[in-house]
Amino acid sequence: MALIETAGLTKHYGPVKALENLDLSVEPGIIGLVGANGAGKSTLLKILLGLLAPTGGRASVLGMDTVRETRAICQVVGYMPEHDCLPPDVGATDFVTHMARISGLPRTAARERTAEVLRHVGLYEERYRQIGGYSTGMKQRVKLAQALVHDPKVLLLDEPTNGLDPAGRDEMLDLIKRTGTDFGITVVVASHLLGEIEQVCTYLLAIDGGHLLRAAPISTFTQRTAVLAVEVEEGADRLAEVLSARGARAQLYGSGVLVAIDGDAIYDSIRDAVADLDLALVRIQQERGRLEDLFRDTVPTAGSLQ
Amino acid sequence: MTARNPAASSAAGSIYDLGYRHYLGKRNGRAYATWSLFVESFRGVWGFGRPVSAKAAPFILIGLYALPAAIQLAFSSVIAQQVASTGRPVELLTYHDYFASFYFLVFFFCVAQAPELVCRDQRYQVLPLYFTRAMGRTEYALARLGSLAAALFLLLTAPTVLLVVGDVLMKPDTFKAIGDELPLALPSLPANAMISVGLASLSLAISSFSPRRAYSAIGIVAYILLMEAIPAAIYSVGQNAGWAWSDKLFLLTPITSLIGGVDWFFGQTLSPQAFSGTVTSGGYLAAAAASVVVMSAILLYRYRRMPA
Repeated sequence: MALIETAGLTKHYGPVKALENLDLSVEPGIIGLVGANGAGKSTLLKILLGLLAPTGGRASVLGMDTVRETRAICQVVGYMPEHDCLPPDVGATDFVTHMARISGLPRTAARERTAEVLRHVGLYEERYRQIGGYSTGMKQRVKLAQALVHDPKVLLLDEPTNGLDPAGRDEMLDLIKRTGTDFGITVVVASHLLGEIEQVCTYLLAIDGGHLLRAAPISTFTQRTAVLAVEVEEGADRLAEVLSARGARAQLYGSGVLVAIDGDAIYDSIRDAVADLDLALVRIQQERGRLEDLFRDTVPTAGSLQ
Repeated sequence: MTARNPAASSAAGSIYDLGYRHYLGKRNGRAYATWSLFVESFRGVWGFGRPVSAKAAPFILIGLYALPAAIQLAFSSVIAQQVASTGRPVELLTYHDYFASFYFLVFFFCVAQAPELVCRDQRYQVLPLYFTRAMGRTEYALARLGSLAAALFLLLTAPTVLLVVGDVLMKPDTFKAIGDELPLALPSLPANAMISVGLASLSLAISSFSPRRAYSAIGIVAYILLMEAIPAAIYSVGQNAGWAWSDKLFLLTPITSLIGGVDWFFGQTLSPQAFSGTVTSGGYLAAAAASVVVMSAILLYRYRRMPA
């Protein structure tokens, strides 16, 4: 059974088309949902949670329809919204315990789970203080804790690293990764930061303008490519000319040159060309596919190099 | 993990790190979730689980509202002696009049505490967390409504209890006095329940339209003052102009209707408490009930449509 399935999912806000005819089928894992701001990520998550009704089409989570079986879905899903969602004048323990009880956990179990989950997200003595006095990083942890407290099967995280400094971001990503791999909870991470997705996710959904751009395991995006990036201090244009003249498939790209790898001899050709032109070589590096390339169609690939 | 607690953040196998455990226990449904929210809201109305400053308003108001009854209780023996020595009855506070005399304190309680219940969650955007749990929007609104009504019932019933105790202590034969007094006090319970639900539905319905406490409070004050003043003004004009229908407008008043409804529970058909006119206390009771239905419908509709 697919974790998340949508068929022809459409959501319009008046004249604004947030989602257009989206067809998805996602298997369990750590799933990255990428797209620019306004691409429809949050809208998709909210439809999956039953917070929004779709304009057209249908969606299901773990085989349950998001419109008809909202309550059943909410029992097995944890949601961390993008925005602030914590009242400032209660302590984290009280708040998370309350949320656990609203999820249906009996009083004692709610307290135990709260203590466990807050420790898990890295809140210790400060958990008794009022949330209003917390740093952004601590608030994000509380938000994650309230999403985890009822032990969901699926965790939907909307921009979990929003507003965090680099260290806080790495900790949050590590936490997400452990949640996904060690506890067997499927995590959907919506983010506009590709670097984050690359770090933690196993599967990628890219949406843009409400359309599905691509859905595939992350490895297929980041495989090594048969292209060398050659960087020289100056004279990249001359290098590209000389290489092309000597029969290599080379093209100027940015401040460097991209060269297709047609056999090992290409390394010698590059060395010779650089030496002949008396250029200062900075590095030769095999190109990796990058997620950014999804949203940029101008990067030459091995196939397109002349 | 934070640097402050290296023990718990160290690699697996640390004595502190029990690892993540799945929850296999019982999961209750929406009734339990609604009850949990009701309890939390009820505590919240009285400021429990909140800073000390949040307790000030509700406790000062219940203190003030019960104060006249407490004073009568405190002086019950003095009053009893005076009655015995002079032979003249003393005019005491009655169950019947109490709300009509001191309703403004109950009104302040609503203005202070109703926004507390519904504005916080909108202002701090907590609602999506509720709506993605074992709880629907309707249950959320009903739990909040129930908690404010329960808090108001407590507020209204506290002086009733004090009056019962005071009146019993004035009589020489305590057991006989209890037997005499309770039937007199009994209509207070349904009357207080009616007032609680009426004021709770009205003030929450209005509060739910703004995430800001101040605006909600102003909204409640404005609604009640205008709806009291306008019918009274039209009635006074209408009396001179001979508009026979103008006294029926009192059915629209929020507080006067409740006071008239109280009269019905104490067995008076014409309502001397409320404004004059031909409206019966039964009419006021019906008007109060209609107001509960309309205001609750507005509240539920508002939560149904609330973006989350």
